[in-house]
Amino acid sequence: MKLTSDGAARTEEIGYELGKRLKAGDTVALFGDLGSGKTTLTRGIARAFGIARRDVTSASFTIIAEYPGDPPFFHIDLYRIENEEDLEGAGVWDCLGRNSVAVVEWAEKLGCGIKNCIRVEMTDAGDDRREISIEGLDEEDRNNL
Amino acid sequence: MLILGIDTSCDDTSAAVVEDGGRIVSNIVSGQSDIHMKYGGIVPELASRRHIEMIVPVVEEALEKAGLPLTGLSAVAVCHGPGLIGSLLIGCSFAKALCYSAGIPLVAVNHLEGHILSPFLDARPPEFPFLSLIVSGGHTSLFVAEAAGRYREIGRTRDDAAGEAYDKVSKLLGLGYPGGPIIDRLAGDGDPASIDFPRAYLPGTLDFSFSGLKTAVLNFLRTQSGSAARGAAALPPATVSDVAASFQKAVVDVLVRKTEWAIKKMGIRSVAISGGVAANSELRRRMKEMAGDRGAEIFIPAVPLCTDNAAMIAAAGRHHLTEGDIAGPDLNPRAYLPL
Repeated sequence: MKLTSDGAARTEEIGYELGKRLKAGDTVALFGDLGSGKTTLTRGIARAFGIARRDVTSASFTIIAEYPGDPPFFHIDLYRIENEEDLEGAGVWDCLGRNSVAVVEWAEKLGCGIKNCIRVEMTDAGDDRREISIEGLDEEDRNNL
Repeated sequence: MLILGIDTSCDDTSAAVVEDGGRIVSNIVSGQSDIHMKYGGIVPELASRRHIEMIVPVVEEALEKAGLPLTGLSAVAVCHGPGLIGSLLIGCSFAKALCYSAGIPLVAVNHLEGHILSPFLDARPPEFPFLSLIVSGGHTSLFVAEAAGRYREIGRTRDDAAGEAYDKVSKLLGLGYPGGPIIDRLAGDGDPASIDFPRAYLPGTLDFSFSGLKTAVLNFLRTQSGSAARGAAALPPATVSDVAASFQKAVVDVLVRKTEWAIKKMGIRSVAISGGVAANSELRRRMKEMAGDRGAEIFIPAVPLCTDNAAMIAAAGRHHLTEGDIAGPDLNPRAYLPL
């Protein structure tokens, strides 16, 4: 499914609508360059889990931002990750699946560990426009997004 | 009262002994930038492995320099977040074991509280209440420090931290890590008015935003070189310096203006600035200039106390100890830990 956002507010709304369709154990893999809106989309997804907009900022520094709750929510940013060892060392695998919901920025760095994810690709389409392609949602949810 | 501080929240392993929350007896920081330089960022696995190697010698050196046996300490103060979880775990586990074996109390200190109280390590500390701007690779926040242990956040970044923008722009320009000192140095050769990068002032709030600026630099590089991937390799050195200077000017303009707004809005005329970006020469100069115009007093610790260090953790540990706020062996670090 392909969507076009006309700005950060719309990108966040798309995130929120996507977030409402997630369930415990889901992982959202985000792909896209710097400035393509990954953190903005994550802010919307997190809002669907009751996390305040203000509390979601770039996670590039800490790699993992954990928000306790039911389900626990993980905002993961692999910008600084270079290899398998780093992934292991940062404890990324402990955050995916099980009873938690995770959103992973720079998901290409997960390597072969990105099976069974909801894949979201984000592209800068000039000015404030962003193209957002979402794959892996259940058919029923997809029609409702 | 002698407190041993330990900080492993990011890339440096640090241990320090501080007397009475203000006098540094020893302060050891293991620079790790040499191994991080080639990665263009803090790589957590490398950082945690290095912390494991460094923690014992760094703590031993801090105690030795202070001429103290373990039993001479009133307490150990350890940073339990925010930071990289793997790195924090090493400092916390080590501190817990040390306190358990030596029978001395442990206190847990939030990294941000350490930064807020770091000006007390200087000869001329501020008086409460004061405004505190923390500006680093992981944080950009404004606090009102009402008393030791009482802090009110009045603004924070909504997306990227200022230091993170420095690191990301440095990487885009094909420069090294950490980005702050490199861009600061290059900016001296460039024209800060050459490129009009956007400044997000977010009127009506004391929040910050640096994500749009980072994207603007990326877009500028795309139009210049035809491809972001080729980045600065395709740019003449003079253009790189101009980008550095214009980018730095945009960051500093926002930090200074918002701090000025905070002084006006809160009616507080003492301002402390800490965190790695507080080491930036242009920020220090412009903040002092602004404070002069506003009749405000500015407190910026010496550069080694702006960047991550354990002395600030030890300094902040004092009031936890006197208030009986002791941490147990169940202390767990947290990557995300609001103050």
